[in-house]
Order: sequence, then C-alpha cells, then structure tokens
Amino acid sequence: MLAEVGVLTLGLALATALYAAFAAVLSLRRNDPRWAESARNGVLSTVALLGLALLLLLGAFLTDRFEIRYVANHSSRSLPLYLKASALWGGQEGSLLLWSFLQALFAALALTPPPAPSPLLTKRQERGGGGGEAAGGRVRLWSSLLLNLITAFFTGVTLFLSNPFALMKTVPADGLGLNPLLRHPGMIFHPPALYLGYVGLAVPFAFAMAALIVGEVENWTRTVRRWTLAAWLFLGLGLLLGARWAYDVLGWGGYWGWDPVENAGLMPWLTATALLHGAAMQEERRGFRIWNFLLVSLTFALVLFGTFATRSGMIQSVHAFARSNLGPYFLTAIGLTLVGSLALILRRRHLLEERRPSESLLSREGLFTLAIVLFLVITGSVLVGSLLPTLTEALTGRRFEATPEWFDRVTAPQFAALTLVLALCPVAGRQRLEARRVVPGLVGGAIVAGLAALSGFTRPLSLLGFALVGMALGTALTEIVRDVLARSRREGENPLAALAVLVDRNRRRYGGYIVHLGIALILVGVIGTRMYPLERNLSLTAGEPAQVGRYTLVFEELRQDLLSDRLATWAVLSVYRGDAYWVTLTPRLERYANFDQTVTTPALRAGLREDLYVVLTGWSADGATATFKVFVNPLASFLWLGGLVFLAGGAVAFWPSTAGARLPVPQARRRAIGNTVALVAGLAVLVTAGVAMWGPGHGATSQPSGRPLPGQTAPDFTLTLLDGSTFSLSGQRGTVVVLNFWASWCPPCEEEAPDLQAVWEEYGEKGVTFVGIAYKDEEAAVRDFLTGHGITYPVGLDSTGRIAQLYGITGVPETFVLDGESRVVRFYIGPVTADQLRADLAGLVR
Amino acid sequence: MAGKGKFIFAGLLILAAVVYLIVTNTGSTAHYFLTIEELRAMGDRAIGRNLTVSGAVLGDSIVYDPTIPQVTFTIVQVPADPKEVERAGGLAAVLHAAVNDPDAPRLEVVYNNVKPDLLKHESQAIIRGRLGEDGRFYADEVLLKCPSRYQEAVPEQAGEQ
Repeated sequence: MLAEVGVLTLGLALATALYAAFAAVLSLRRNDPRWAESARNGVLSTVALLGLALLLLLGAFLTDRFEIRYVANHSSRSLPLYLKASALWGGQEGSLLLWSFLQALFAALALTPPPAPSPLLTKRQERGGGGGEAAGGRVRLWSSLLLNLITAFFTGVTLFLSNPFALMKTVPADGLGLNPLLRHPGMIFHPPALYLGYVGLAVPFAFAMAALIVGEVENWTRTVRRWTLAAWLFLGLGLLLGARWAYDVLGWGGYWGWDPVENAGLMPWLTATALLHGAAMQEERRGFRIWNFLLVSLTFALVLFGTFATRSGMIQSVHAFARSNLGPYFLTAIGLTLVGSLALILRRRHLLEERRPSESLLSREGLFTLAIVLFLVITGSVLVGSLLPTLTEALTGRRFEATPEWFDRVTAPQFAALTLVLALCPVAGRQRLEARRVVPGLVGGAIVAGLAALSGFTRPLSLLGFALVGMALGTALTEIVRDVLARSRREGENPLAALAVLVDRNRRRYGGYIVHLGIALILVGVIGTRMYPLERNLSLTAGEPAQVGRYTLVFEELRQDLLSDRLATWAVLSVYRGDAYWVTLTPRLERYANFDQTVTTPALRAGLREDLYVVLTGWSADGATATFKVFVNPLASFLWLGGLVFLAGGAVAFWPSTAGARLPVPQARRRAIGNTVALVAGLAVLVTAGVAMWGPGHGATSQPSGRPLPGQTAPDFTLTLLDGSTFSLSGQRGTVVVLNFWASWCPPCEEEAPDLQAVWEEYGEKGVTFVGIAYKDEEAAVRDFLTGHGITYPVGLDSTGRIAQLYGITGVPETFVLDGESRVVRFYIGPVTADQLRADLAGLVR
Repeated sequence: MAGKGKFIFAGLLILAAVVYLIVTNTGSTAHYFLTIEELRAMGDRAIGRNLTVSGAVLGDSIVYDPTIPQVTFTIVQVPADPKEVERAGGLAAVLHAAVNDPDAPRLEVVYNNVKPDLLKHESQAIIRGRLGEDGRFYADEVLLKCPSRYQEAVPEQAGEQ
C-alpha cells in the first residue's frame, strides 16, 4: 500500500512539474500573469508531492517495510534510527529522489519574487541596472520553464528507471542492512551536501539561459549570486566531508585518490569557482559576459556529467552506483545542455560583446581572466585524466590509464600558477600591478618557506609551493591591515572596530580573503601530505618496540569483543616520542559477518606538525603478533583547518551586508528574521561539518603516564607492604628488582604464582628483591591468595591503582625486571614463567 | 585592440603548457591498460613497464601472509570492452564465467601489502604494477569491485589501499 502511494505521488509530482513548465510557456505566449501564478502553484505542488514521497520512503525505512526492495537492500531491523534515516540516500534510488525533491524546492525558492528591491544593490549597480519589471518577469518565467524541466527530468528518471518504491517478489524477514563503510558521520552528511551543491547550480544555469533568451544579459549574475555562492559552498563542504571520510574510514592513509567519481565532484566545483570570480567581475566592470555564460553552462553540464559518471557504470571506478541503464539518458541531457546553451550564446553574441578595450594582463581584470583560464585548464586536465583510457584508445588504439601520480604531476604546476595569481590579485590595480605593493608578498613567501625549511621540509619543489602560499598570505594580510589602519586613523576607531565595520561593509571582499586564507591552509596540507609521505608496514610481537619517524611504537596486546553483528578486534599500542610516553593508540578492525566485509578504523593522533595514523591489518592466531600499517602524514591537520576557514569565509561572503540598507520597518524586520534563520542554519552547517570531520574519537587516548620502555628508568613509588613496612623503589639502588602487578581474582596470576615463588626462593638470597603489587584488591582476598599459594615475597596493596597507572599497566598480570639502576630490563604482559625470569636474572646477578 | 592579443597569446601559452604536461605525463606516469590476453601477447616486451591489468579474482588462490605483509592471488582473463561485457550478460556474469573457465589465461599477482577488504572470489581486480622476470605480476596498487548485491553501496575508494 505504502509503495503504491509512493509511486502515485511520484507520478503526480512528474505531472505537476510538467504542468508548471507548460503553464510558464502559456504565460509567456499569452502574456497572462494568471498562468504565471498557476505555474508557481505547480512548482509548489511538485515540492509538496516530492516531499511527501520522501517522507513515505523515510516512513518505510523507520517501520522496516522490507517488501520495498530499496529498504530491504539498505536497512535492517537492528540499524540505529539515525542510520535508518541516512540510509534514505545510501543508494541510487533514494539519492535520486532526494535530488528531485531538492531540485523542486530550490526552483520554488528561486522563483519566489523578492518582497522588495534587492537590498544587495548598491548605488553603483543600480545605476546601470535598468531592464524593468516586465523583463524581470519574463526572465523569471523562462527560468521557471527550465527549472521545471530539470525537475521533471530527475523525477522521471527516479520514477521510470530507478524507482525507490519497487517491490520485492518475496518479502524478506530482515533487510540486508547499511554497508558498514557508510556508517560514519562524514558519509551521513556528505551526499546531501554534494546534492545541495549540484542542485543549487541548476538555478544560476536556468537564470542565465533565461536571461539570454530574453536578452537581458547584465543582471542575472546579481540575481543568482547568492545561489551560486551557496551551491558552491555546499559542493565544497561535500568534497571536504568525502575526503575526511576517506581518511577516517578507508584506512589507506590518504584523503583524495583522483578517482573518477571524486573528480566528477571536483570539476563543477572548479568551474563554479571560476564563475563566482567572473560574476564578481561582471558586476564590477560590466565585462566577462561571454565567460560567465560559458562557465554557467559548463558547470551545469559537469554536474550532469558527475551524476552520469557515478551512475552509468561507463567509467572505470571502484565505487559508483553500479547500474548502467541510466547512462544514455544522462548523456542526452548533457548533450542538450551543451549544444542548447552554446547555440543560445552564439545567437545572442551581439549582446555579449565587450564594450571596452581590455586592460593590462597584470591588472585586476587581467588577473581575474588568467584565474578563470587556469580554472578551466585544470578542469580540462582533470577531465582528460578521467577519460584518458577512452581518449588514448580513440587516438592511439592503446588504453592508458591516469594514475594519481599523473594527476599530481599534471595539475600541481597549474595549481601553483593559480596560487601565484591569487597572491597578485589583491595588489593589482585597475590598470596595472604596482611593484611596490608586491613586496609584502615576497616577504610573506620568504617567511613561510623559511619556516617550512626550518621544520625540516626542505625539498626544493615543496619550498616553492610554500613560498607561493606565503606570498598569497602576505599580500592579502597586508591589504587587510592597510585598510584597517587607514580607517582606524580616519575615523578614530580602534583597529578591531574598524575591522568589524570593514568586514560588515564589504562582505564579499573579506569573505573572499578568508576563503583564500582557507585555500592557502589546505594547500599547505596538500604539499605536506603529498610530498613527504612516510609509510611503514610493521609486524610486532607483544612488548616489542618499533621506530617510525620520531615515534616509538610498542604493541601491548590485542583485545576482542563479539558484538551482535560484528567481531571487533583492536590492538593497544603505546606510543613514545623520544623517551617520553605520548599517547595510547587503539586501531580497530571490525568484521561484519553478514556483509563479508571488514571495516578498519584507523587510530589517529593528529598534531599540527603531522598526524600519526595507524591501521591494524592482521594478527597471528594466538594474538601475540600483530601487523600494522603506520603512516606519518605531515601537515594533514591543515587540510581540515583550512576546510573550516574556507567554509567560514564562504559564510561571511554569503551573509547580507547590513550597511546601506534603509528599508521600511516591516521589511527590515522580515530581513532580520531571515538573517537570524540564516545565521542559525549557517552555524548548524559549520558545527555539522566540524563534528563530521573531527567526530567521535579516532582511537587515540592519553594516559597520565605510560609504561617505561626497556632501558628507561622506572618511575619511583612507595608502597605499604602487608607486614606494615614501607617499600620505596629509590631505596633499592644497587639491587635488582622484580615488580609483579597482579590481583587475587585473576586466573593467569594464579598460574604464574608458583613460578614467581620458585624463582624468589632461588634468587632472594642472591640479593634480588621481589615485590608483588596487588592491583585494586581487597586485603583479605590477597592474604587468602598468599597463604593458598605459599607466597613468601613481600606484597603490598595498590588499592587506588596509583602505581599501576604510573607504570602504564593495561591489565594483570604484568611483570617488570629492573636492574640495579632501576632501569627496565624487560617486561612481560601476561603470566611470566620461571624459565623466562631465570634467564633475565642470570644476566643481572653474578 | 592590442590588449586582446595579449590575452589570447597568454591563453594559448597556458594551453600549450598544459597540453605539454598532459602529453609528457601520459608517456611517463600513465599506465598502459591491458587484459591478461594482451599482456601474454606482448611476451617479454611487457616486463618492467608501467601496466594496468584487470581480471577476475580466483578465491581459492588467495594466500595472505599478514606478517610481511604479502598477498598473492591469481586473476583470470575478462574482456575490457564494456560492450562485450554487456553482450555477455553484465559484469557479474562475465566474472562468474571467467573463474569457471579452466582454459582462460591467468596471471599470478604478488602484492606486498595488506590484503584489501574486497579481495575475494569473483571480484573484479584492476591492478597497477609491473610484470616481473618470473612471469608474476608485482602490484603497486589493487583496485577492486565486487559484483555483490552491495555493489551500489560500496562507495568511493572502498578498494583502494
């Protein structure tokens, strides 16, 4: 029943979307505003119907309706509620439905006419505005037509080719569950963020094409600027979350593999970035029109290509949704988009021609052009790389495949050139570059490169990269400081207040600076991780130390826990930096029986300088030996830090400026409410991103102290023995000491007790001291144990576990053998045997 | 318009540089993509070159020594042409047929790394590496795809190590 209602809802949504498009055409033809009103109602009905379909599917997930194939394939009874909800977009059918809904929603929002003349208009922009109400209405109608057709396309694909409400032939008792790899906060938010980006980019496309058709080519960028910005931000957020998820979950130590599907997300983001710059220039200089129309069409075509690449199965990729019957439809849509928009641009080219001669190449305008060209060639390179097997086969008959190294080498020089442009942009004047103002950039470059070299990053190419990043930081910071000081002197404000006013008045400019700062930080991370990778495979037996970089890793023990759907195994590793204990890492492996799949959870200790990243990869049957993959990823934290700065900068640019708005009271109030809502939503997105990126701990815990390594001096302590006397380690200088941590309730301790006693009897008279330290135990139980096993060496109670903590004990029994200088000679995790102790003591006692 | 010429010249210069980057890197770092059959046909000329080979994994052949770590396994010839795969009934059918065909060309792969999660019977392996003198293929990277019912949900990079 639910499934039938779902299909019916989808069918109705398709009908209303098509009706809305039809009504828009009628309104255009007959010049009748009533049809326009009807088109708007059609859009709203589509939103409501698709929203209902989404709710129905959500209901199906929450109530375990496994007769629906999509639910059966992506959920199970035992799945936690929030994962059931996120499973909604865990597969192709659901994600397409979400896509259609968002598309309809955005169409509705974008087509709602603004209540007042846009408060974003400054005087300068208004002067050349023109166009008038009628043209604006026609642009809106044409946009409505296009957006509704796009909605109808996605709804149609969902309904006919990828129906989420399709039924199973037989109803299974339980669903298959969500793929364990997808149970990560990054994966819960990553797809919707990407979709919001993709879907949002359809809006500027529709408005641009409508503007071309109507012939009103100047103002569309302003109308959709915030749409472009928001979509671009969400796309960026989606890419960041995807990278973070790969870093956290996949356990290959990396975050970006130049996989065709990753590339498919990156390409529209790059062209959208170019579009943002072009649109800013169009508003500033009334130029760049051809660029912007090309960019907006290309971006939308790449969005379609992204969906095509993920879903067609035509591109060799490890992931992707697998079915291939969608391919031809998406290819057709891409072809229509490109051919249609290019034809339109050609037909309207007389409207688009530049009216003024171009400036110098090193003017602000020239550098923006260079930046756009670079964004385009980078996009082109990535596209060529993604299609390289097909391209080389067509050209040479042989198939070549682009490796990550190929992408790194091809794009790195281009990104470097782009960074140089970014560094010069803030200081470029309208006419030309002022050499004097480049100096701070050079200083910044020298400082950052110098710092990097001092920290040990000395490869020449990386230093060049760091210098470029430093240059970008230097010019931007100098410009900000200069503005702030000028205002502060002029207005007599303190510099902080001056900065606040400046940011508030020039949201886009300062937002841009912050975004560039974020990108610079990300670049630092990219250079560090890509050019200084350190990777080791280790095979360790318990207690054995191994050196990786400046860390010493000691494998302590393996632990296992059988959970309802999986077997979790984790290793406890103590990590030392130099001689000092630093952190305890617990990399995990979780084996999901009914998925036949293992999920690795790397243990990650992030630092500003580098991340230590450990993956548990296997172990011997007795658990005594385990293998690890250890990565040291220099400067990886800068990636995520830069990501957050980037998002914050985008939010600042997105924010409406409060300056210059003199609105009537009701509208001002409405705007205030809107701003508050936007503020809350923006904060929610940032917090979400933060949680998803630094979410639940990644297997790193710190103990107050760690186990002393062999060769290190054992920490001093005093202990009250059962006979009332006091034992202190510092009082034992010159004596060999055996410290045994144990407990009366522990079977392995019983096992080793006779051995300890036997060795004590042999070596006690040779001057060796034995001390038993009963870990968090009851005095009566301890006395019973000692009597029962005939133990005669001194024993004391460590009731609070203070000494155990001092020695980094992970369980009982553990035994330390110390030489006459109280240095650790050896330690044992688990029961020790008499032979082992004899061998150790024989070397120490003559 | 002298200004315009400058821009066009700069644009062409950038484009030429990028084309140069692409062409040289395709020669040096891109991998020649082959099926096992084509690899066999190349004979000794294939030894030591950067190659990418794809095939179906034979489950029984997987030997894993976690202490090195090293995994060795055998892959079986599957056609690379998507159209041919389509005609034969899709990827799952092709992989299934390949592992049950005793006459299909096979290739032993040595991968000095941790066993990937998705390495199992009838998964499709795309392997980057070089052919050794001993006729075994030494992998740098193993990408895997499973024809399981979960395929659609196996997301980005799942097989990459």
